[in-house]
Amino acid sequence: MSHELIALTMFSGMMLMLFTGQRVFGAIGFVGALAGLMLWGTGGVDVPFSAAMKLMKWYPMLTLPMFIFMGYVLSESRIADDLYKMFHVWMGPVRGGLAIGTIGLMVLISAMNGLSVAGMAIGATIALPELLKRNYDKIMVTGVIQAGSSLGILVPPSVVLVLYAMIARQPVGQLWLAGVVPGLLMATLFIIYIYIRCRLNPALGPALPKAERNVPLAEKLRLLRAGLLPLIIFATMMVPFVKGWTSLVESSAIGAMAAFVAAILKGRMTKEVFENSVRKTLGISCMFMFIILAALGFGAIFDGLGAVQAIENLFTEQMHLSPWAILILMQLSFILMGTFLDDTAMLVIVAPLYVPLVGELGFDLIWYGVLYTITTQIAYMTPPFGYNLFLMRAMAPPEIGLRDIYRSIVPFVLLMVLALSLVMIFPQIAMWLPGIVYGN
Amino acid sequence: QSTITWRMQTYAGPALAEHVIKPAIDMFNKIAGDRMQIELYFADQLVPTGELFRAMQRGTIDAVQSDDDSMASPTDVTVFGGYFPFASRYSLDVPVLFNQYGLNEIWDEEYSKVGVKHISAGAWDPCHFATKEPINSLADLQGKRVFTFPTAGRFMSQFGVVPVTIPWEDVEVAMQTGELDGIAWSGITEDYTVGWADVTNYFLTNNISGAWAGSFFANMDRWNELPEDLQTLFRVCCDQSHYYRQWWYWGGEASLRVDGSKLELTTIPDEEWAQVEAKAMEFWDEIATESEVKARVVEIIKKYNADMLKAGRPYRYS
Amino acid sequence: MPRLIRAYVRFVDGMNRLIGRCAMYGIFVLVGVLLWSSVSKTFFTPSMWTLETAQFVMVAYYILGGPYSIQMGSNVRMDLFYGGWTPVQKAWVDGFTAFFLLFYLGVLLYGGLGSFAYSLGYFGSEPVTFFKDLILAFVTGGPAGAGEQLGYLERSSTAWRPFLWPIKLMLTFGVFLMMLQIVAEFFRDIGRIRGVEL
Ligand code: NA
Ligand code: NA
Repeated sequence: MSHELIALTMFSGMMLMLFTGQRVFGAIGFVGALAGLMLWGTGGVDVPFSAAMKLMKWYPMLTLPMFIFMGYVLSESRIADDLYKMFHVWMGPVRGGLAIGTIGLMVLISAMNGLSVAGMAIGATIALPELLKRNYDKIMVTGVIQAGSSLGILVPPSVVLVLYAMIARQPVGQLWLAGVVPGLLMATLFIIYIYIRCRLNPALGPALPKAERNVPLAEKLRLLRAGLLPLIIFATMMVPFVKGWTSLVESSAIGAMAAFVAAILKGRMTKEVFENSVRKTLGISCMFMFIILAALGFGAIFDGLGAVQAIENLFTEQMHLSPWAILILMQLSFILMGTFLDDTAMLVIVAPLYVPLVGELGFDLIWYGVLYTITTQIAYMTPPFGYNLFLMRAMAPPEIGLRDIYRSIVPFVLLMVLALSLVMIFPQIAMWLPGIVYGN
Repeated sequence: QSTITWRMQTYAGPALAEHVIKPAIDMFNKIAGDRMQIELYFADQLVPTGELFRAMQRGTIDAVQSDDDSMASPTDVTVFGGYFPFASRYSLDVPVLFNQYGLNEIWDEEYSKVGVKHISAGAWDPCHFATKEPINSLADLQGKRVFTFPTAGRFMSQFGVVPVTIPWEDVEVAMQTGELDGIAWSGITEDYTVGWADVTNYFLTNNISGAWAGSFFANMDRWNELPEDLQTLFRVCCDQSHYYRQWWYWGGEASLRVDGSKLELTTIPDEEWAQVEAKAMEFWDEIATESEVKARVVEIIKKYNADMLKAGRPYRYS
Repeated sequence: MPRLIRAYVRFVDGMNRLIGRCAMYGIFVLVGVLLWSSVSKTFFTPSMWTLETAQFVMVAYYILGGPYSIQMGSNVRMDLFYGGWTPVQKAWVDGFTAFFLLFYLGVLLYGGLGSFAYSLGYFGSEPVTFFKDLILAFVTGGPAGAGEQLGYLERSSTAWRPFLWPIKLMLTFGVFLMMLQIVAEFFRDIGRIRGVEL
């Protein structure tokens, strides 16, 4: 079998397996294991297991359960309720203000968890019912929550950027800082979009009625304090890390404990909240670890069979493209694959092919990490495969149908593509902050 | 007749492999042509370094370039691979120890017992500290988390160094994420080549070993299946690789100390460093008690160093 | 469904749930180790064992918690088509794809046994025979007899040098538990096709 044919067979085999609705790690693991057994030669059968030892030595993986735990503590204990009230009261008078406030809420939630799960849970359980009650357009707000929660993987801490950092061998601190401004840029684009649409068509997001706006100033100021909590948790974790007092994995443990302690102090850590956060953290962490385990095995076999070289050859030697054309082609293929393939698996399988090539083409790998993450955010929201879509379907109230969910994402995906292009054209958007903090 | 293909994994990442192995493998492939091709893979690419020995013994990987210590070979000679403290002063010491003082025979015996072919040993660079904070005395080593070899780490822990072992490719990032305070893995050439000079500030000129000892290995069955001329070609290319490293490191160490701009040099005074050397002699004796094979190797290293001292300049200046 | 199968499903569910729930609290062990790591680094000499210990805890956490996560239904699937099927249709397809998953887990298990045998000093390529002999030696000769079967015990290539067999045993055992769980899920699917909820 030629290298090209092996690459093609393995990829299409995996797609086929995924279409059966098989658990993602089973689909990837099976194709890898079968190829190892049939094509590798002596000892190919050992490669999937040796991936487990490789995964064990990937020490940044230790942050995964920590950031997931942080997110669940926040969403399960509802310590975000006050935060939501703050935005509600302060932004209510503006047309579309509650939707704009929800984006603000999502930015703060993103600063306290590494995935989009928590943002999604908080958005769907706290913000969505209130927005619908006040006659906000259901399609717009469904999109707001999905888009807003996807910021969780771009604004630090970010699990996706930790994974990328491991594969691209780039420093997590710089990658995280590089995600900050693009994350805020994207949030701003969302807000501008909501504001303009609601100005043009006030029925989409009516301002709060007078009666509800009548909140005494003292109360308004008191609510502002709620905004401090996420900032404190964020600082407890990030400052010692950026200053170099604690390492990445240690900081993640500090962050998890900070969220846990905050929930206890606020009196929200009931037995049920505790049980739910700990159990759900295990569920999601196991899912991630098994997918990565399977993908690492698949990747090593794919590589050892020469398929990686075949793909690199295709891009560099056979297609005669300029570096930018190759880069754009890669992003497009990521978006295309992201619509079908699990995002974590995509990172572990495809990034090892692309990242060295991106480096050889002379692009900055920190900057590329941000591009990659925005692409993943798009993948999170585009059908048929997307975590945020899954979560939205599971959490949305019954009046929001599947078609509403699909329609809701269109304008936000376009805004994300715009943000992606802006970061591509003006790399400084990403590189400015790490440059200032780390001085390079 | 179809082409023989081998998978070979090196302990080195791509940037370093460009010097320490790739030229030799390219040469091999060019000469062997359709008869045999070796596909080169880098650190942790197919299997993690910890599993490297097992993978080769089993035939998952056909050949390996590594030191015995970091791939944790299940042999009695493993502690002497990598940097056995103060065993050698110059990179030429290693081939002399192996070719003229009998280490080759011991290595061959030990690896044959565990089903692996030891093909050829060679020298790399000396072992220095590159750190974020300056090291001017032994006290400065206290509490530093340092990426180093298992045996070197075991030895240096008595001076308060906290040895950390992580995948080689993760070292640069671990320096930046605070997992590490320094690196005691190489000389200055490697610090610059692999990018470690960008994440550290100081280079300690004292070393704990003058040359790294590493080898080429192959799965026993795969090796025996090769026709004799290809075995010879493989050996020749290994020797070429050893030769390349002799001058590349030797020249690089000197010129980067003199002209390098990224690392500031510091030195622990000789009298103070003599304590470390004295402890190394105790460490040798301690290792020698562990087994009969280890005792034989330690004896050879002692004999060699005594001979060099007697030979005087330029072999030894003190 | 036959009594035996019902009993199997109940037993495996119960066992994996219990093991998974113990593993679940491993997150606090992990937090503890990492916090100790930062405390000891700040106030005393940093510890040599923290990073590796944390890695071992993480392995236990996810590999022993895996079957329980299957019970919770945490594992994502691409549901482009799957999402639209009825429970019985899903059960039919899952009944078939279970074998693909079991194949993968079987390869993992075989690799795990080989690696575990190696960590006990067995250098051959027949790990199953090795374990058979080991167990036989234990039965006939007790711990001393089993000890004679062992060779060079593999240690981690770090300065701390912990033995690796416990972690490899745990990984292999975790994969085995996962296989038991998938078989239980398979029976559940068969039950669903026949209109029985197991
Ligand atoms: Na985040
Ligand atoms: Na998608």
